[in-house]
Amino acid sequence: MADPSAAGPTFDQEALPHLDALYRVALRLTGDPSQAEDLVQDTMLKAYRSWRQYRPGTNAKGWLLTILRNTFINDYRRRKHEPIAMDLELAEPHAIDRSVQEVDPEGSFFAQIVDAKVLEAIDALPQEFREVLVLSDVEGMRYAEIAETLHIPVGTVKSRLFRARRQLQADLYAHAVEMGYIQPRESHT
Amino acid sequence: MSGVDCTKAMAHLADYLKRELTPELMVEVRQHIDRCRDCFQLAQFEEKFLAMLEVRAGRETCPGKLRARILEMLRAEAERH
Repeated sequence: MADPSAAGPTFDQEALPHLDALYRVALRLTGDPSQAEDLVQDTMLKAYRSWRQYRPGTNAKGWLLTILRNTFINDYRRRKHEPIAMDLELAEPHAIDRSVQEVDPEGSFFAQIVDAKVLEAIDALPQEFREVLVLSDVEGMRYAEIAETLHIPVGTVKSRLFRARRQLQADLYAHAVEMGYIQPRESHT
Repeated sequence: MSGVDCTKAMAHLADYLKRELTPELMVEVRQHIDRCRDCFQLAQFEEKFLAMLEVRAGRETCPGKLRARILEMLRAEAERH
């Protein structure tokens, strides 16, 4: 059906299998289902029109996600209450995770948390951290691919990922305590 | 004996779990984790967390009506050329 380049893999074959991933990333970026739909559609149109620039055999998912992310940055309104990244940059990375791991070393409380709460906690991360976490830990992209997509060094990908995970673990832990899934350790003071 | 101690193993843990280390380091870190109870536990916690994240946040799918809209758009786009 759709093959502007005539030779090589068709756009449909290469791009359509990634619609679910594109939609998920769009949801996490926009925080709004209707904006996410528009973003995916805009992305697919741009990708189709620049299909000749895609090099066959390279990572189509990464190529599409790069277009999606650039489109979001250039054309979409930021979330109304975008969290600020600064406090996370300053956070002591080891402060929280040790206590979480000591109380529940096997991480069994994760199983009790519902999907919606996990997504809510991801959405509460600042964009810089959220996008790295989603691309890496949800969509399975390699560090190098993420670095290319976001135009940042691999070292920055790793440090943002590290902090994003810590923040998420801390949030989910606090939620688990609140819901009574887990008993916090008594403080010995 | 491998040269990976607890500090080094844990410094590499995140990259180890994402299989982003060199093959040699992958083996060395795994060997350390296999014989060190504390590191094994930390690795297990992180592994569970990552597995949970992938499953819980990876379930949403592209709505059918959006998929149909996109196919329609691509068809129209193809006809224009």
